[in-house]
Amino acid sequence: MKLPLIAKAFALELGFYLLLKLGMPLITSPLPSSVIFMYMTLVTISILLYVSIFEDDFGNFYIPIVDFIRGDDNESGLRKLSRIAVFILIPLFFGFRSYQSVLPNFNPPFPQRVIHPAPPGSAAGFTNPFGDDEANHEQYIEEGREVFYKNCVFCHGDKLDGKGFFAHALNVKPANFADATTISMLMESFVFWRIKTGGIGLPEESTPWDSAMPRWELILSEEERWKVIMFLYDYTGWKPRTWELEGDE
Amino acid sequence: MIIRAGNQGLGNLKVMSKLFIKNDIQSLFLLVFLFTILGGQPYLFADEEHEEVKTTAQPDSETLPNDDLAAGEMIYKKRCISCHGDEGDGDGPAADRFQPKPRSFKKAEFKYRTTPRNSLPTDDDLFRVISNGLPGTGMPDWADVLTKKQRRQVIKYIKTFSDKWEKQADRASALKIGEPVPTSEESIERGKKKFTALGCTLCHGAEGRGDGPTSLVLRNHRGDSVYPRNLNKNWLFRGGGEAKDIYTRINTGINGTPMPSFADKLNNEESWDVANYVRSLSPTPNPERGSLIKPLSIEEGIPTDPEDPLWDQAPSSWFPMMGQISFEERLFTPTVTDITVKSLYNDKEIGFKLIWDDRSSSKASKPSAKKKIYTDQVAIQFPEKLQPGGVKKPYFIMGDEKLGVNLWNWQSDGNQVFETTANGILNGEVKKSESNVKGSGRFKNGQYQVVMKRSLQTSDKEKDIQFEIGSFYPIAFFAMDGTNGEVASKRSITPWYFVLMEPETPKSVYILPPVVIIFVFGVEFVLVKLLKKNKKASSSS
Repeated sequence: MKLPLIAKAFALELGFYLLLKLGMPLITSPLPSSVIFMYMTLVTISILLYVSIFEDDFGNFYIPIVDFIRGDDNESGLRKLSRIAVFILIPLFFGFRSYQSVLPNFNPPFPQRVIHPAPPGSAAGFTNPFGDDEANHEQYIEEGREVFYKNCVFCHGDKLDGKGFFAHALNVKPANFADATTISMLMESFVFWRIKTGGIGLPEESTPWDSAMPRWELILSEEERWKVIMFLYDYTGWKPRTWELEGDE
Repeated sequence: MIIRAGNQGLGNLKVMSKLFIKNDIQSLFLLVFLFTILGGQPYLFADEEHEEVKTTAQPDSETLPNDDLAAGEMIYKKRCISCHGDEGDGDGPAADRFQPKPRSFKKAEFKYRTTPRNSLPTDDDLFRVISNGLPGTGMPDWADVLTKKQRRQVIKYIKTFSDKWEKQADRASALKIGEPVPTSEESIERGKKKFTALGCTLCHGAEGRGDGPTSLVLRNHRGDSVYPRNLNKNWLFRGGGEAKDIYTRINTGINGTPMPSFADKLNNEESWDVANYVRSLSPTPNPERGSLIKPLSIEEGIPTDPEDPLWDQAPSSWFPMMGQISFEERLFTPTVTDITVKSLYNDKEIGFKLIWDDRSSSKASKPSAKKKIYTDQVAIQFPEKLQPGGVKKPYFIMGDEKLGVNLWNWQSDGNQVFETTANGILNGEVKKSESNVKGSGRFKNGQYQVVMKRSLQTSDKEKDIQFEIGSFYPIAFFAMDGTNGEVASKRSITPWYFVLMEPETPKSVYILPPVVIIFVFGVEFVLVKLLKKNKKASSSS
């Protein structure tokens, strides 16, 4: 069966919309409406491009539209009915959209939060005093483990996945050390600074007022803080980022 | 008019695609597909919600020995030792700061089983606890980190801590669950009667909030204080919150605690009735964390009585709470797990009703008392001032040196309301000499209901938040259970949320859409007229 070009174009447009709206959530999480709109614009533009490349095709495409709008004195009842329906639906659609746009929409002030901010100058130059002591390495990790399970486990969790006992109550979720985007891409001195000064020590772009990360310099000794860092890397198997590695990249 | 030359390139593309695909619609699809893939690709990966979690850089499976027991030991030493201890007696470094305490595998007293009271659990019971964790405790769900085989291996290993496992006498098979009785008003009603008749209310309380007359004096086999479960929060039931789980608990009891088994007192139907009743005490679905509190606009004055029916009309927001563990002294074992908030406003005042569960209404003990008890308290926290742009806020735990907070407090001792300000928890709270906040509280069957209200504007523009309709105000909550030793920095906390009094819908909302409809219709009308005229002109010529 040979469908008219306009029917094909319409079917394609609708098919893409349904695919994005209903099909994508089956594979990944639902797409935001702005992304769907962007895709549909691309689809529409490409359809219009396609139909307008050759004059003949374009005629096939737009003459039925013009005929439909114009109507005919001796047209069938169904055709007349659908024409009236379209003429009523289009203004209603625009009316509804304008209603949506003028309806007040309240969104709380929402900062774009920087997760790993540029550390202040004071954060540089921390070096692990136990880093070179190979003989007692295991002992330090063991002590770090104790520090973690007495202090950090409540938020960062038994599995170091940021899903501790208290994590569900927080807005800024505790860091997931098992994830490849946290301690594995940070330098030890940065991690040390974050632990030392805590959430409240963050710069403003990282919304310090929302972070429950304690300022551990008030609670833990410097040695305890280094040992817990050694434990974090040991448990997860990640390696801290270093200057040498940066040079390789 | 179409310019053919300008489209030559695209025309070629079309011809090319037609070489492969004869069908018009298919080549059209291909073109559209290519366009969208090229154009929209970056956006496909922009979804921040969908994060891929890699649990660790080195999976255990790569480093584990083949022998099950040896593998189990290695898993135990990495994953379990910090709570359950080297020797399996439940005294790892974390043990002191968790309530309930980690299990002792040496004593082999397991709480959540499908086997009769005082017997050992089945392997499947242990497997279930390791896989799903125990909600409301420090025991996490290990299913995403340990494979099924690894979970079996670790079970094998934890059995080596006690010789009880070798004695046949302590072994038992799983309870058989009889034909289910679906939940219904009748079943729930029968269950409620049984619940009272069996004396469940002595510990679990008249409305099941774990506040019965014995609730504060119960002890477990170690001599530690234990609380009866609050049956109104089934998401915190360790062994699962559905009727089938409750049925199992009723018929197996909880070893090492005062919770008996009712297996010899209840038949199958009665067990289901009680289970259905207990399940009905918790909301379905379970509450979800709120983010924005929208007070309801009313004409009347804001009632200070928390039981005033006007409060029933206000929508509820639910917020989970955590212990304050950012500053000394820290609270690792809070008893207040969540708080429900309702709010009302009129043109002069705004009021909040706070609802939370507490096993007892406590009065501060005398300074000479052996066990210190403090008054129960609740507080609503606001910034002293709204910052420009509304993004910047004081630190969520009682502010910081630069930005202060204003707290509306209520305490059970004397049913008092007072206002404080703070610039950081370490600097302490300062009681305001003059307070505009009014309110009162009630305690009934293990639940507090407290109302606090204030005029929208006050004379103290420096220390009091000034409310205006249509603005977002940061808001946070604190609660203290005095019986649990909570005072000063030892408190349950929430992060910042927002409260917004929504302004009335502007008139333009009802004017613009009809104008647009008429305009678009007019355009359509003109278009049709023009097209018809064109046709006549072309056909007559």
